[in-house]
Amino acid sequence: MSQTQNLTVVQAVRDGLHTEMREDDDVLVLGQDVGKNGGVFRATEGLFDEFGGDRVVDTPLAESGIVGCAVGMAAMGLKPVPEIQFSGFMYPGFDQIVSHMARFRTRSRGRFNLPITLRAPYGGGIRAPEHHSESKEAFYAHEAGLKVVIPSTPSDAKGLLAASIHDPDPVIFLEPKLIYRAFRDEVPEEPYTVPIGEAVTRREGGDVAVFTYGAMTRPTLEAAEALAAEGIDCEVVDLRTVSPLDREAIIEAFEATGRAVVVHEAPKTGGLAAEITAIIQEEALLYQEAPVKRVTGFDVPYPLYALEDYYLPTATRIGEGIREAVEF
Amino acid sequence: MVVGDIATGTEVLVIGAGPGGYVAAIRAAQEGLDTTLVEKDAYGGACLNRGCIPSKALITGSGLAHEAGNAESMGIHADPAVDMGKMVEWKDGIVDRLTGGVEKLCKANGVNLIEGTASFVDEHTARVAHGGEGQGSESIEFEHAIVATGSRPIQIPGFEFAEDHVWSSAEALDADSVPDRLGIVGGGYIGMELATTYAKLGADVTVIEMLDDILDPYEDDVKRIVRTRAEELGVEFHFGEGASEWSEAADGGYLLHTETEEGEESTYGVDRILVAVGRQPVTDGLDLEKAGIETDDRGFIETDDRTRSAVDHIHAVGDVAGDPMLAHAASKEGIVAAEVTAGEPAAMDQQAIPAAVFTDPEIGTVGLTEEAAEADGFDPVVGEMPFNASGRAMTTGHTEGFVRIVADDETGFVLGAQIVGPEASELIAEVALAIEMGATLEDVAATVHTHPTLAEAVMEAAENARGQAIHTLNR
Amino acid sequence: MTVEEFKLPDVGEGVAEGELVTWLVAPGDRVEEDQPVAEVETDKALVEVPSSYDGTVEELFVEEGDVVPVGDVIISFRVGEDGDGGETEVEATGEPTRDSDASAAESTTGASAETESEADAREPATTSGRTFAPPSARRLARELGVDIAAVDGSGPGGRIGEADVRAHAEGGDGDSDDGPSVKSASDAPDPKPAPTPTDTGSGGRKSAVKKRGTSGTDSGSEAAAAASTGAAAPDSAGRETTLATPATRKVARELGVDIDDVPTDETRDGEAFVTGEAVRAYAEALESGAEATVDASTPEPSAVDVGAGHDGPDTGATSDPSPPGSTDQTVPYRGVRRTIGKQMERSKYTAPHVTHHDTAEVDALVEAREALKPRAEEKDVTLTYMPFVMKAIVAGLKEYPYLNSELREDEEEIVLKDDYNLGIAVATDAGLMVPVVEDVDEKGLFELAEEVRHLASRARDRKLKPAEMKGGTFSITNFGAIGGEYATPIINYPETAILGLGAIEERPVVRERDGTSEVVPAPTLPLSLSIDHRVIDGAVAAEFANTVMEHLEHPLLLLSQ
Repeated sequence: MSQTQNLTVVQAVRDGLHTEMREDDDVLVLGQDVGKNGGVFRATEGLFDEFGGDRVVDTPLAESGIVGCAVGMAAMGLKPVPEIQFSGFMYPGFDQIVSHMARFRTRSRGRFNLPITLRAPYGGGIRAPEHHSESKEAFYAHEAGLKVVIPSTPSDAKGLLAASIHDPDPVIFLEPKLIYRAFRDEVPEEPYTVPIGEAVTRREGGDVAVFTYGAMTRPTLEAAEALAAEGIDCEVVDLRTVSPLDREAIIEAFEATGRAVVVHEAPKTGGLAAEITAIIQEEALLYQEAPVKRVTGFDVPYPLYALEDYYLPTATRIGEGIREAVEF
Repeated sequence: MVVGDIATGTEVLVIGAGPGGYVAAIRAAQEGLDTTLVEKDAYGGACLNRGCIPSKALITGSGLAHEAGNAESMGIHADPAVDMGKMVEWKDGIVDRLTGGVEKLCKANGVNLIEGTASFVDEHTARVAHGGEGQGSESIEFEHAIVATGSRPIQIPGFEFAEDHVWSSAEALDADSVPDRLGIVGGGYIGMELATTYAKLGADVTVIEMLDDILDPYEDDVKRIVRTRAEELGVEFHFGEGASEWSEAADGGYLLHTETEEGEESTYGVDRILVAVGRQPVTDGLDLEKAGIETDDRGFIETDDRTRSAVDHIHAVGDVAGDPMLAHAASKEGIVAAEVTAGEPAAMDQQAIPAAVFTDPEIGTVGLTEEAAEADGFDPVVGEMPFNASGRAMTTGHTEGFVRIVADDETGFVLGAQIVGPEASELIAEVALAIEMGATLEDVAATVHTHPTLAEAVMEAAENARGQAIHTLNR
Repeated sequence: MTVEEFKLPDVGEGVAEGELVTWLVAPGDRVEEDQPVAEVETDKALVEVPSSYDGTVEELFVEEGDVVPVGDVIISFRVGEDGDGGETEVEATGEPTRDSDASAAESTTGASAETESEADAREPATTSGRTFAPPSARRLARELGVDIAAVDGSGPGGRIGEADVRAHAEGGDGDSDDGPSVKSASDAPDPKPAPTPTDTGSGGRKSAVKKRGTSGTDSGSEAAAAASTGAAAPDSAGRETTLATPATRKVARELGVDIDDVPTDETRDGEAFVTGEAVRAYAEALESGAEATVDASTPEPSAVDVGAGHDGPDTGATSDPSPPGSTDQTVPYRGVRRTIGKQMERSKYTAPHVTHHDTAEVDALVEAREALKPRAEEKDVTLTYMPFVMKAIVAGLKEYPYLNSELREDEEEIVLKDDYNLGIAVATDAGLMVPVVEDVDEKGLFELAEEVRHLASRARDRKLKPAEMKGGTFSITNFGAIGGEYATPIINYPETAILGLGAIEERPVVRERDGTSEVVPAPTLPLSLSIDHRVIDGAVAAEFANTVMEHLEHPLLLLSQ
């Protein structure tokens, strides 16, 4: 019988890092404030004391350097888990990510693969100034050679992190910081993985399929509960991996109802909802009863927090979107 | 430095880790709720750190010293020397053990502990400013909250506790030496307990009380016994006087100035002044109004019998919720609050809450007095057993006091008891049980009580009420 | 003062014995009449046994747990101090209601009723609202939603035990709690939605969403209505899942058809697949409730009024022979009927109609047809008069092109058509349809005959494509095939003229013979020519008619066309 502990998302990430570092000496962590400070969100707390400065590396404030070093480390056989303090700061390292991290295997015709897991807290809702609320997973989903994973629960966080670290190719691991501490969940103590590329059904229902991920999973479930009272029965699918999308799960859920809603906080244009809509119309046009409704952030720079509550999809806005899809 | 505010979510936020708060938190966690307990000072609250426990330790210490030095009749000759500092140290050790125990129990039950000061932001959000080595502050989103912020000693104008020589009960329990002369403002249970303690430790104690007797809520015959004993110990009482101000005395001590209602002034020479005129609820800094809660005109949070405030999902327990301001009431309220939060049908439906005063002799009361029973429409029957008729009492050398039991004549239901005498604080528990169970005099009388114990007196009192006492004359 | 013995009474239901479960009194206790002294369990229930005396319990003869036969003495009372009530015939008040872990509701209620009659002894002092009950009983009361103050206690002094609480809850006083100490567990606040997978489904709730497979109720199909007429409705497929393009779904919605009902043989991806045409065909089929009985022996297209729409037919029911209640019939005005109606309305209210009547004496035509008939039959062609008429009309149109035109008022122009496409009105059970024979000027008689017959047949089989009913420049309506002489046909918008043909019959005509006028029977063909007077004047209409008649009366002129 496995032991479980009640952990928040960030605690689960920490536990995952700790577990993986214990299991495999090649796993190491690098980033700003991750070592002695234990991470600004406490995601790497205690790791420095246990594993030492060689495996928990405090870096200068230089994202391109962090990613670039990780590329080099990984090419030489290590399994680096670089942390970028906020996903909004990945841009200085973007070139390293897309020009090199994503391409090494192709470039070397398979001779080199980079088992990098790039962790970054992402997403809004935390009343922060600019650059700290970005939700640009689409940038990375668009780059072949990268996987993009976004957990929404503590147990998924630990399992997906482990799977990402085990993955022989680069994974961008985005942690929705809004729910870092919002709730606790039972997380097994022993090592385990949750498969990348596999969605999970969070709620079963027969009227409409609602696809979401990350911090939006909870308000989506809230909306689904509220709509159940009106006789609208939602199937809520948490994608968990945003690239590659679990096409099978998407199509299966869609075909069962013919109606779909996609919820993400990232801006609408060019977001993952567009990709999911395309998949749906490509593969299941004949099942379609209504246009795919996208409930997303807006096509504006992420607002400062006086307007933050209007930007992020709320349970109310999600509910309205679902109603639209259902009443078409 | 973390940028942004990432809220911590929890199901139950308990503010204050005193006997109300930590009990509530542990119970809530046992009910399976995600519970967070915020404490700004020390686990266990006032009770554990500055009240119940320290006072009982010093009372025992002082009592022991006094007993030993006054047992010649038993053939014991001793003149104990008291090292106050050491006694306080011993007391501190107990307190530490207990506070550490509270922390351990909380953690063991899965309660999330935060050191800091909490305040409400709205009905479902609180802010905690981290104490200790924490960083800044954090937001907590809660589904339910239990306010258990307790109370503090009332400070009277002119007698600021900040002054070294003006004590509240907290300082009185932390003294490093016994003052030669101790002036006590207030003849309530705190004042009387400390008066007895310090008198036994050798201080010259003067008690100033505005009313015309000590221990206001108790019956005359109860008070009289305690007062007489205190006077025997050398405590001087001055009734009808209120403390007006202090001044420095020429001899390096202080002068306590008092006034009667009519304006008569008196002055007493003291080295320390203990102000024990009552306790007031602690709610400043909580920003209760942001959560939609108002306090009454005395500063208490009004609650219903399920410990809920005006806002359904926010409870208040313990001293901050008003009378009775007793630790065991707080704990009971804490349990009810936690269970209500968990959806259980709990309520404050106890028939009576016992109380104890740890003077010499002790007082233990529960339920209705004879007068109160009459006022409630009962036809009370009363039984008594004086301790001077108790064999066991005689063997302890303490025979002052009595057990009085009040019951309904028609049905025999036990309605209340007043015990003054040795171990009254312990003996009262039996009667509390009897009242809760709806026991009758016959039930108590028919229960065999061990001989020779002080508890027998309870049985005898019950018999007495039935006119069937063996060891006393029936009324 | 006597000692009275008390036997275990018959507890009812033919029970012969009971187990004495609990003594509620002890020797020395004062008891009052009807006060319960013991709990006895029978096969059926736990009942309370009441005392028949006022007095003091003397002796208990049975121990708890013993099984006692009815009639055995179980207890004795010392009576006579205050005047006893004597033994009364008392039956245990317990009516066994159920096997239960609680005491029988009835008996306790009975006991309670008796208890209430002994008000003094048992009522707890309630001036202060005190109830005497142990904490466990109080908690139970809260759990069961019982107001403990309303529970009657069966313990000494009226003390309330758990059994009393349960009995009260089941017994039927069933007060809802208002007591301050009692709240039910439903007061618990709602938990937030859990982020972990919750397997909440609809839990049997009816979905409010219009779904595939919910045919009949939601869709606008008249299948139900049609079915109720007793006429054979077209088969509804009633599927759960149907694949169709969004465009097709749109069509289905517009036609009020449930896509799951559309019959189809096509499949995609293993599921039934429906095209737009299938939807339309099904919709048409829905309008006619009854199977049409087509008179296939009249190859001549028969028509009533002209003016069928070119659109696909809407759903609509036609005759409804079995109305439920009243003697009036209500028929939906929908579909083709309504379309025709709209067309007629539009034509008649747009174009000022004038009808010009005349009669052609068609002896020569009759002879000509007779002469050609055998030759036609050789070619498997049924030669009717219609081809002749069509050719005659073309002759007239060539001379008077304004009758072969279209008025475009918005453009402020009259379009004189270059083609000669004649619409031939056909009466079908779906309604009026006007298939068009194109380029009549270029086709021979036999060809025309064949084409007309073919079109008419397809019209009646409802196989006409919309394209086949478009592009006409002049129309003919042969009501004469049914009967009648003259009519005032309505022009087939957007044409500007229409010719109605009466029945070719022998009618009296005036002919000259030998210088004298005499009335003789001769085959005549009545003509009714309606024109749009915005475009055509009466004089022109008359001249056109004259030309047509000339060609009908002198069929050889047709060769000069």
